[in-house]
Amino acid sequence: MAKNIIDGLFGKSPISPLQKHMTQVHSCISELNGFMVAIHAQDWVQAERIRSDIGTKEGEADILKKKLRLSLPSTFMMPFSRRDLLDLLLIQDSIANITKDVSGLMINRKMTLPDEIFDDVIELTKVCIKTSSMALKAVNELDELLETAFGSRERKVVGSIIKDVNELESKSDKIQHEIRVKLFPLESSLPPVDVMFYYRAVEWLGELADAAQKVGSRLEVLLAR
Amino acid sequence: MDIIENNADIFIMLAIGFGLFMAWGIGANDVANAMGTSVGSGAITFKQAVVIAVIFEFSGAILAGGEVTATIRKGILDAALFTDSPYLLVYGMLASLLAAGTWLLIASSLGWPVSTTHSIVGAIVGFGAVGVGVDAIAWDKVIKIVMSWVASPVLAGTLAVIIFKSLQSLVIDTKDPLANVKKYLPFYVFFVGFIIALVTLFKGLKHVESLKYISKDASLSVMIAVAVGILAAVISAFIMRRIKIDPKDDKDFHYANMEKLFAVLMVITASAMAFAHGSNDVANAIGPLAAVYSIVEAGGDIASRSVVPSWVLLVGGGGIVFGLVTYGFKVMKTIGKGITELTPSRGFAAELAAATTVVLASSTGIPVSTTQVLVGAVLGVGIARGVAALNMRVINTIFLSWLITLPAGAIISILFFFALKGAFGA
Repeated sequence: MAKNIIDGLFGKSPISPLQKHMTQVHSCISELNGFMVAIHAQDWVQAERIRSDIGTKEGEADILKKKLRLSLPSTFMMPFSRRDLLDLLLIQDSIANITKDVSGLMINRKMTLPDEIFDDVIELTKVCIKTSSMALKAVNELDELLETAFGSRERKVVGSIIKDVNELESKSDKIQHEIRVKLFPLESSLPPVDVMFYYRAVEWLGELADAAQKVGSRLEVLLAR
Repeated sequence: MDIIENNADIFIMLAIGFGLFMAWGIGANDVANAMGTSVGSGAITFKQAVVIAVIFEFSGAILAGGEVTATIRKGILDAALFTDSPYLLVYGMLASLLAAGTWLLIASSLGWPVSTTHSIVGAIVGFGAVGVGVDAIAWDKVIKIVMSWVASPVLAGTLAVIIFKSLQSLVIDTKDPLANVKKYLPFYVFFVGFIIALVTLFKGLKHVESLKYISKDASLSVMIAVAVGILAAVISAFIMRRIKIDPKDDKDFHYANMEKLFAVLMVITASAMAFAHGSNDVANAIGPLAAVYSIVEAGGDIASRSVVPSWVLLVGGGGIVFGLVTYGFKVMKTIGKGITELTPSRGFAAELAAATTVVLASSTGIPVSTTQVLVGAVLGVGIARGVAALNMRVINTIFLSWLITLPAGAIISILFFFALKGAFGA
C-alpha cells in the first residue's frame, strides 16, 4: 500500500506538546501553596503526600520533555528556531525541578517557618504560582501565533501577557526583600542553621518566579525573527 | 507500412489497454496527493473528496486536457525522423505507456512518491534515445520540461506565500477575522473560477469540436470566465452564510469559527485542484494513446497536425476515475487520518496556489507534476511561518524520487520497446 507523500511531508507539530509540558509544569508548581500551608500547620502526613504528588508531576513533565525532544529531528523546518524551542522547554522544565527541590528541602528538614514571615512566604508562593500561570497563558497563545503566522496583532497579545509576567516577577522580588528584612532581626533568636535554610528556601522560591519570567522572555526571542 | 496495416486493431487495443493502465495508476495514486491537503486538514471527508475528484478530474480531463496532450505527443520526439518507419513510433508510444504504468505500480507499492509526468517523459525519452537515436529527441523541449520541474514548484511556492500573506493581512491578523472572511474570501474564489474558466475556454475547448467557436472569440471567453468567477464567488458567499457560528468554539482557540468557513471554501479549492490535475495529468496517459491512434488511423502517415478525438480524452478521464474509485480511496483514507498539521486556512492557500500553477502551466502546454507543485506550495506556506513543522527529510526523498523516475521510466520503456519490436517485427 502506497504511503502518502503529502502525509509524510508534515512533521509533528511541536506546539501542542510544548503547551502540554507547560500545563504539567504549572500543575506541579500549583501544589506548592497547599504544601506551604501543610508545612506551617506541621501536618507532615499531608505535606509528605503533596511532596510526593509534586515528585510525580515533575516526573511526568520530564517524560513529556523527553518525548518532545525526540520528536524534533533537526531536519524539521519550523516557524521558529529549533534551539529556541528546546531552550524554552528546558526553562519550563526548570520550574518543575525547582518546585521539587524546594518541597524536598523543606520536608527533609521538617522546616517550620517563623510566624513573622509565614504570611509573606505564602504571598511569595502565590505570586510564583501566578507568574507561572501567566507564563502558561503566554505559551498557550502559541497556536494562535502560528495561525496568524506570527502576525503583529497576535504578537501584541503575547507581548502584553509577557509584560504581566515581568510585573509579577518584580513583585516577587519585592516580597523576597521584605522577607529578608523581617528575617534579619530574628536571626539571633533562631538556630543559625535554620536561618541559613530559610534564606535558601526564599531564594529558591524567588528562582521559581525568575524561571517563569524566563519562559516569557524566551517566548519573546522565539517570536522575534 | 504493412506492419501497421496488418496489426491496426491490435495496436489500437493495446494502446487503449495500456492507456487505461496508466490512467488507472494516475487515479489510484496521484489524485490522492492532489486532494490530500483538503482531506488532511479535515475540510472535507474522504467520501466527499472521492465525489469531487470523480466529477472534476473527469471534466478537467475532457475540457482542458488537450493542450498538454499535444506536447507529450509531439513535443519531445522529432516526429519527422519516423516518417520512414512509423511503426517504431507506435512501438515506442505503446512501450512508454506500459513502462510508465509499470513504474507507477512498482513505485507506489514501494511507497515512493513518484510523478506520473516524470514517468511518461522519462519513458518517451528512453525509447527515443536508445530505440531510434539520440537525435530523435528534441532535447531543448526536454530541457524546457526539466526546467519547469524547478520553476513550477518555485512559482507555486511564491504564489502560496503571496496568497497566505494576503489572507493574513486581510483576514487572519485583523480585529474581526470572522467578518473579514465573509468579506474577502469570495474574491479569492472569484479568482479561482476566473482563471480556471479562462484557461479552459482558451486552451481546452480548442480540442472539443462542437465548442471550438467559443475559444476563438476572446471577448466572449473573458465574459464567460468572469461569469463563472462571479457564480463561484456567489456560491461561496451563500455557503458561508449557512455555516453555524458558535462563539463558544473560539474560547480555546480564537480562530475556530474562522477556520470553519475556510473549511467550506476548501470544497471549492479541492474542486479546482481536481480539475487542474485532470487537465494536466490525463495527458500523461492519453498523449501516447492519441499518438498511436492518429498514426494507425492514417495508415502509417505521421500527420503533422491532428486533433485529439474526444473519445481518447474519455478513455483517459474514465481510467483516472476508475483508478480513484478502485484504489485511490484507500490512499485518501489514510491521509484523512494522517495529516492534522494543516488547518483549512493554510490548506486553502496552498491548494489555491497549486491549482493556479497547474492550470497556468497546462495552458502553456508544459506538463508539470501536480505533486511537485503541491509540495512547492506547502513549502511556501511553511516559509511564510504558517506550518508548524515540515519534514525536510521527506522533501529530500521526494526530490530524489523525482531524479530516479526519469532513468527508471527510460530503462523500462527501452525493454518494452525491444520486446514489441521482437513481437511485431521491424
